[in-house]
Amino acid sequence: MSIGNRLRVRPDYQFGTAGFVILLLLLVSPGNGSLAQERETPPSGAYDDRESIQCHLQKNAPLISAWQHGAHGRKQRSASCTACHGKTHHGGLERAHQDDTCIDCHGGPKAPVTHSYATSKHGLILRLEAPQQGWSRPLQDARYRTPGCAYCHMHRGQHDVSKGVRKDILDDTDRQAVQDEIHQVCQDCHSPRYVGRLFDNGEKMLEVGRSKLREAMQIVEQASVRFGEKDLVTVHRQLKTMRHHLKNIYLGVAHQSPDYQWWHGQPAMDGDLLRIKGQLDELQRIQTISAQGTDERAGKTNLAGQHGQ
Amino acid sequence: MKYRRIRYVWLPVGVALLAGIGYVNWSKSGAGLYSRLWQPEALFAYWNPADFYDPVQSLTGSFAGRECVTCHEGVTPGIVNDWRKSRHSQAREPVYCTACHGNDHRNLHLPTPQICGGCHATQYGQFVDEKRYGFPSHGLAMERALDARHFVDKPKAEVSACLQCHSVASKCDSCHTRHLFNAAEARRPEACITCHSGPPHPDDESYFASRHGQIYLEEGKDWDWSKPLHKGNYKVPTCAYCHMEDGKHQVVDKSIWKFGIRQINPLTSSNEVKRNRWVKLCSDCHEADWSRRQLAKLDTERKQAWQKLYAAESVLCRLRADDQLFPPASQRPAYPTDWLDEIWPRERIGFFEGQASAFYNVSPIERDYFEMWYFDNLSTYKAAAHGDAALQRRAHAAMDRDLQSIKREARILRTLGEAERELGIDARAGSYWRIGDYTDHNREHN
Repeated sequence: MSIGNRLRVRPDYQFGTAGFVILLLLLVSPGNGSLAQERETPPSGAYDDRESIQCHLQKNAPLISAWQHGAHGRKQRSASCTACHGKTHHGGLERAHQDDTCIDCHGGPKAPVTHSYATSKHGLILRLEAPQQGWSRPLQDARYRTPGCAYCHMHRGQHDVSKGVRKDILDDTDRQAVQDEIHQVCQDCHSPRYVGRLFDNGEKMLEVGRSKLREAMQIVEQASVRFGEKDLVTVHRQLKTMRHHLKNIYLGVAHQSPDYQWWHGQPAMDGDLLRIKGQLDELQRIQTISAQGTDERAGKTNLAGQHGQ
Repeated sequence: MKYRRIRYVWLPVGVALLAGIGYVNWSKSGAGLYSRLWQPEALFAYWNPADFYDPVQSLTGSFAGRECVTCHEGVTPGIVNDWRKSRHSQAREPVYCTACHGNDHRNLHLPTPQICGGCHATQYGQFVDEKRYGFPSHGLAMERALDARHFVDKPKAEVSACLQCHSVASKCDSCHTRHLFNAAEARRPEACITCHSGPPHPDDESYFASRHGQIYLEEGKDWDWSKPLHKGNYKVPTCAYCHMEDGKHQVVDKSIWKFGIRQINPLTSSNEVKRNRWVKLCSDCHEADWSRRQLAKLDTERKQAWQKLYAAESVLCRLRADDQLFPPASQRPAYPTDWLDEIWPRERIGFFEGQASAFYNVSPIERDYFEMWYFDNLSTYKAAAHGDAALQRRAHAAMDRDLQSIKREARILRTLGEAERELGIDARAGSYWRIGDYTDHNREHN
């Protein structure tokens, strides 16, 4: 994108006559993107989703199709036009830009997906600055000092919220696509090299987490030959917790939260892994003792029973 | 006789001393005590620029400040937006990019505290002075992270998570975020939360739940944050008001309880000096006697917490003495930092033995104790110190549960051990303690 185009969207300081001419040219030029078209004096009154889609299909069909392609519009249309924009055009854009609108549906402020962002530097700076600066500016060209949810996930107003998000954190087949998407966003503020290194390091960190999970899954798989399903209930529960902790690492990397990368992520997975190993050791020891000891002793020690106390 | 003493006593002592100094210097030649044992990730350049920054080579030429701005308006507009709003750009003689980064594009640097200290000498002086109070502190955060056993042992991409917060020692923008570097932003509690949150230090949770924090949340957005952190300027204290009073750039000259990490004697003369500093600070709003009583309550809380911790620690120490920890240290991977570990493997119980690194590759009961000490104990401390009574109760109840659970686990380990002894079984831990995707990777990629 040219420097002139970037100037168009930054009125915080003077940019002279040349800039003004460029701005006029850009505003009247065709194919200027969705934003200018969306802002033609919108009709007043309340509209439901069906009416909104019908009208905006004529105005901006690519926007609707992007929405349908992403997680919000796919499946049962989990987040429709009115869910984010409200039913009227009044303040609809600001409403959809706000973090709170997203947080309402995405598990509330304490859910890992929102909390990991809220405690990141981006989240905290935005929390301080939003009351003064509002949410009316477009989601592009560093028009916000730090990005909110929508700035990254709906960068430049694009409506496919699945862009830049991993489909499955257990494999990295979509790595390149995700990398290309989010590099564009981050480079509004950060140098390409910094963004590249952050991304590579994040990938490596996530891979370390995956290797912990793989180690645990292999151990449990081998154990299922020796022990019954009932014996392995706690082990499986621990494995499930481990997956949550791996997700935390992903969120920590994506939202740049040290706390989610670390305390809710890596060392938490270490704990899961050693507990799985410890539980299997214990099962093995009980099995050996039971096999060698007399039935009487096995009955007396009743080791498994002590766990329930 | 005299010469013999020189030959047999002083000469060997001298040689040993020189060899010791030489060894320490050799091993510290990179970054940290064990830097010869590991290679940094490329990203470390940004967390610890003094040791690891490598300038960008993609563009040649020397540029004046205005030229940087013109070009970066297109390349990274966010940076320029910030800088334009900053005091740096609004000064009579603007502080351009070149003042902090240099002007040769192939030899740029990231500003370290030392570079910022070139202009902000008072703050830099205070920041450096902090180190004499030891750790935990901001000033020593990076050194101690790089020297930690688990940092050296684990894959560097994994422990890069540590450096994000520990970089508070190696750059100023942890609190004064770039490129606005706003003092007003750093005065607000939110500036601290990215690092001061989570299980070992729920400073955010405990402060915001306190009366101070509740009032801040209600009214803080309307206060004038350009005012210095001085008596009468703020209705309630924030993190920085108490820990960096009057804007002093060091946070530990009042640090009595040392984060709750180890037990301290609160009544030493040096701690009495620190206590008087607290009382003086609290007296900005409260009566001195009342403040003293509140601080004494914290002493009591710490004593209660340590009684619980020592009870748990003694359970573990007795298990270790009786050889009942399972698996024992000899059957799990050793730290590469400690060659003694290979020939004399031992479990590390308690702060002074290195419990801080003993959170992985340890037996479950040791991990339980780690969590009791590092999570629940530190939570009770933070809650008591910041005035969050509910969290204090919850975390103490959690410590009680931890202790009971450790005792129960110990009974199981002993019962199993005794049964095995009677039956003559030599129980070995599963091979999975030493083999596996992560465990192998960890051994090879530190």
